[in-house]
Amino acid sequence: MSDLLLVLTVAAITFASRVAFLVRPRPAPEGLVGRFLDVFPLALFVAIATSELLTPAGSPEVTPALAAAVGGIAGAAIFRRALLGVLAVGAVSFYVVRALVG
Amino acid sequence: MPASSSFRRGVRDSILIFFAIGAFGVAFGVVAVDAGFAGWLAVLASLLIVSGAAQFAMAGLVATGAAPVLFAATGLGLRHLPMSATLARLIGPQPLRTRLRMAFILVDETFGLTVHAAAAGVDDVVAYKTGADLTLYSGWVTGTVVGALIGDAVDPAAAGLGALFGLMFLGLAAPLVRRRRDWVVVATAVGATLAATAVLPEAWRLTGAAGAAALIGAFFHE
Repeated sequence: MSDLLLVLTVAAITFASRVAFLVRPRPAPEGLVGRFLDVFPLALFVAIATSELLTPAGSPEVTPALAAAVGGIAGAAIFRRALLGVLAVGAVSFYVVRALVG
Repeated sequence: MPASSSFRRGVRDSILIFFAIGAFGVAFGVVAVDAGFAGWLAVLASLLIVSGAAQFAMAGLVATGAAPVLFAATGLGLRHLPMSATLARLIGPQPLRTRLRMAFILVDETFGLTVHAAAAGVDDVVAYKTGADLTLYSGWVTGTVVGALIGDAVDPAAAGLGALFGLMFLGLAAPLVRRRRDWVVVATAVGATLAATAVLPEAWRLTGAAGAAALIGAFFHE
C-alpha cells in the first residue's frame, strides 16, 4: 500500500468512526448506555492523561511527568479546576523537576 | 448575537490549546518526515485525518506495514463512537452538512471544550465548536507544515511535549469531576490504564481502559 493510500484509508477510518452517530441521529440513549456515554469522556481524558503522565515510557515509573501530574492536580485544586491553572502549575512542576533530576 | 458570541468564545477558549496543538503539529511533521513520509503527505495527513493519536500511530507503525497502522487507526477510532453520540445529543437536530462538519474535526480537545461549554450553558454549541475547531485545526495544520519543513531539528521528548499533552487532558478532565461516581471513574481509569499498559496492545490501551472505567461508572448508582 502506498503512503498516499495509507493516509487516505486512515482518514476514512477516522472519519467513519466520528460520523457514526452524527450522520443518523438516534434517540438519546438512556439507561446503562446513556450513563456510559455520560462518563466516557471523563474516562477517556483520564486514560490519556494517565498514559502520558504516569507511563510515559510504557511502564509506571517516577519521572518529571509524574511531577507534572501532581502539579496539574494541585493546579486544579488551586485554580478551581481551570484548564489554564492545570497547565501552568503542571508545566512548571515538570520543567523544574526535570532540571533538578535530569 | 448568540451564534457569533459563541463562536468567539470557542476561539478564545481554544487559543491556549492552539499553541499546544501547534507544537504537537510540529512534532508530528518532524516524526512523519523522519518515518519516511514526504513532507506534503505529512501535511495532507493533518488536513484529512486531524487526529494526533492516529497520525502518530501511523508514523510510528508505518515501517511495520499497512495492517498494523490500520488496526491501530481502527482501535483509536473506536473512542470516537461514544463521543459522536454525546456530541449528537449536545447539538440536537442539525442539517446533514452541519453534522458532517461537526464530525470531521471531532477531536478530544474540542470535544472536551464543547462538553465543558455546553455544561456551562453556552448559547450555541455548534458555533462554539466551530470556533474551537477552526482554531485548533489551523494550529495543527500550520504546526505540521513547520514540522515537515524543519525536519529533525526538534526533539519532542527534549521539549517535554508528551507531558504537556497529558496535562492538557488532565485539565479537560478536571471540570468533569463533580460527583462521587466521577471519582470512581477517575480511579478506575487510572488503574485500568496502568493495567492495560502491561497487558494490551498499544492500539487498544486507551480505548479498553476508558471503556472499562466508563462501564463501571455506568453501573455505579449515586
